[in-house]
Amino acid sequence: MLSLGPIIFGLILGLVIGSQIKLNVSDTRFTLAAFIIILIAGIIVAWQSGNFPFYTDLPVSTAFLSALIGIFVGKLIFARSK
Amino acid sequence: MSQGSVILKLISLPISIILICLGIMTILGGHITPGGGFQGGAMIASGIILSILVYGIGNSPLELSHTYIEVLESVGALGFVIFGLIGLFVGGFFLYNVGADLLNVVPQSIQNVLHYPDVTNAGIIPYLNIFVGLKVFVGLTSIVIAFAGFKKLTEEGE
Repeated sequence: MLSLGPIIFGLILGLVIGSQIKLNVSDTRFTLAAFIIILIAGIIVAWQSGNFPFYTDLPVSTAFLSALIGIFVGKLIFARSK
Repeated sequence: MSQGSVILKLISLPISIILICLGIMTILGGHITPGGGFQGGAMIASGIILSILVYGIGNSPLELSHTYIEVLESVGALGFVIFGLIGLFVGGFFLYNVGADLLNVVPQSIQNVLHYPDVTNAGIIPYLNIFVGLKVFVGLTSIVIAFAGFKKLTEEGE
């Protein structure tokens, strides 16, 4: 059975924090490719974390993955430029 | 304040995002693994602090506004107190775990609403972890933002 708790609250916390990412303030450019690399790195970290915290539904950490997706979605939807 | 290295600037935001995700994971596993609200909140704050230290205050892609800090700090404190009061009024004790309900004094409807949706019988403990995590995350970050701001003001004054 898939545990919904870490998925829902990981998404919410990710949305809350991702809404503060502003990319137009730094002199370093982060393009779509950079975020795809971050997503792939995040999936690898989630895979290496295993089924944390001991939920045996999926072989990846669902809290980590949902937080990562939440940050990206929050950045896309809610992030305002400075 | 900011470091000039291009490599640091390229790698800091991805590491910050990964650190923040690890912090959220620690918060959400706090009821059955080592860790919890404070540790997870400190990990999230460390991600944002890394970004502020490398890019500098005012140029950081991950920087919290005053209103945001105010709102999250209030939500963290209020949420904890509200969950405590729910336990007091429904179960008879402050911070009584109405989701798990070991004494069988809480109506089933309230227990269902406040029960954390996972395979453990943790009740309201994960919610309290989330509120503590929010409060610690904005608290620690605001301290560093204040220090960085003071340093910038001092440097501008000289």
